[in-house]
Amino acid sequence: MEKFKSIIRDYPFIAFIIAFVILAFVPSVVFTDVYQSHLATLIFVNIVVAAGLNIVKGYCGQVTVGHVGLFAVGSYTAGTLFLYLGLGFWATLPIAIIVTAFFGVAMGIPSFRLEGPYLALATLGGGEAIRLFIENGNFFRSTFGISDIPTPSLMGYNFDSPDRYYFISMTIMIIAVYFSFSILRSGVGRAFMSIREDPICAAAAGINVKKYKILAFILSAMFAGAAGAVYAHMPPGYIHPNNYTVIEMVTFLAMVVLGGLGHIWGGIIGAIVITIVYDLTRPLYKYQLLIFGLTIVLTILFMPKGLGGFIDRYFLEKRFKKKTGTEKTT
Amino acid sequence: MILKTKQLSRSFGGLKAINKVDFELPKNEIRGIIGPNGSGKSTFFNLVSGIYDSDPGSYIEFDGHDITYTPPHEIAGYGLSRTFQLLRLYQDMTVIDNVMSGYHTRVPYKFFDAVIGRKKIWDQERAIKEEMMELLSFVGLADYAELNASELSGGQRRLLVLARAIAMKPKLLMLDEPAAGLSPVNVDNLMKIIMQLKEKYGLTLIIIEHILKVVMDTCNSVTVFDHGQKIAEGTPAQVKDDNAVIEAYLGKKMDDEEMRKALAV
Repeated sequence: MEKFKSIIRDYPFIAFIIAFVILAFVPSVVFTDVYQSHLATLIFVNIVVAAGLNIVKGYCGQVTVGHVGLFAVGSYTAGTLFLYLGLGFWATLPIAIIVTAFFGVAMGIPSFRLEGPYLALATLGGGEAIRLFIENGNFFRSTFGISDIPTPSLMGYNFDSPDRYYFISMTIMIIAVYFSFSILRSGVGRAFMSIREDPICAAAAGINVKKYKILAFILSAMFAGAAGAVYAHMPPGYIHPNNYTVIEMVTFLAMVVLGGLGHIWGGIIGAIVITIVYDLTRPLYKYQLLIFGLTIVLTILFMPKGLGGFIDRYFLEKRFKKKTGTEKTT
Repeated sequence: MILKTKQLSRSFGGLKAINKVDFELPKNEIRGIIGPNGSGKSTFFNLVSGIYDSDPGSYIEFDGHDITYTPPHEIAGYGLSRTFQLLRLYQDMTVIDNVMSGYHTRVPYKFFDAVIGRKKIWDQERAIKEEMMELLSFVGLADYAELNASELSGGQRRLLVLARAIAMKPKLLMLDEPAAGLSPVNVDNLMKIIMQLKEKYGLTLIIIEHILKVVMDTCNSVTVFDHGQKIAEGTPAQVKDDNAVIEAYLGKKMDDEEMRKALAV
């Protein structure tokens, strides 16, 4: 066991390969109908977005409410590339990631000057502008949406149903989470956190604040772009501007906040919980926004570090007690 | 000379916070900076470390680099580290992360290695962590490494800020009131740690401090600021007897007769 632990410590990707293998068996063992695979794909897409959002908001502390706009850019890059050039998933995915990264730069530039709620307003404007631009542009099929975006196929095998597409979304999710994990565990994650806590002190400690801020925006935009492309190609392959409204943004925020801002697994836990709750409360669609808004408020009030921080805290207190023999309760 | 300023000025609106200060600091010296509140000590620190831009005509040189208009992170890269009067602790980070973030300028690996998560990254991260744990146990915070910085007491926070500033192995360390708000015992303890760290890392130090005992006991030389100007410089003994200094700090020196008159009115 000790040896296994040290191997994982040196080569964390092995843990992700194990996770991949386990998740690969989930559909055949656990799921009872196709809808569950579809829901799982939605969870994976949300995990990718939330992991990205956690980088820029949870770690770097830049309050962005325009992330859903970047998600839309990813989707519509994939959609329009298919519509006009007939490109498939394997071409649209990387292009969507790159295009969204550029939009991430644009979204991040206001963060040089603005902070907190002001930055939130600016990015909210950015995100909504993107959605309105799509909705009112014939180039993007405006309110008709883009339909029949093909599912990917690999070596003659077409991932054309939810239980097959599961494997695509799951793979992308594992890769994305692995990248976010290694970025945030390294010195880059620490630099992000110092900027969140105190940009002036971070600068005095040798961290190039502007560079790291824009880096956080680019990274999280790339996550959103990848998620957007996966979402666009998801069967039945239909995207519509209404899928990228502020309501979705609130849902994404609720995921990150509930999971734990600045917690390495925060977005992931939150994405799983919120997506399932979102699905279960579909009949109560009138109250969904209320539920998620309330979730955010209550989490911040009673569990400021989210579920992830809550669990961490439990183990930390245990360890601290063991080490020093004293209680530490704050 | 590790630090040199010529005609350093900075005004805020009409107020000349720092007015034409020439300052020179040789290597391995401990320089104390004293002066009444609002005399420009902290502004001087902010100018040197690049947080504020200095007014035209100023010149700052650090370790052979002209840093007059260099952004703060590059100055830190040259090996200048500082603490803040208001600590600016990373409250929501663990103690060990606080110290490790101070290591930023010395992190050896590239960004893309970190993205891919190669083995050598984790090896190096562990090495950094070990080194920083050593530093923490040196200042006596090793037991608290995994707690949030906001959970430390005032004295521990001061030690943590000191450890964080030293993590980058600076050539010059500027301490802005390191002992403010500490009890006398803690002040002695802190100064002992500072002196040990100076020996260990071969530091040059500038210390702003209001507790004159600290300045007189530890500093090789003292610079006195008042109204943005340097009004005296020399060994602690010289400065202590300087009339301009006494006037700035305590008001005019009076003999007994004058004092009695002044109080009687």
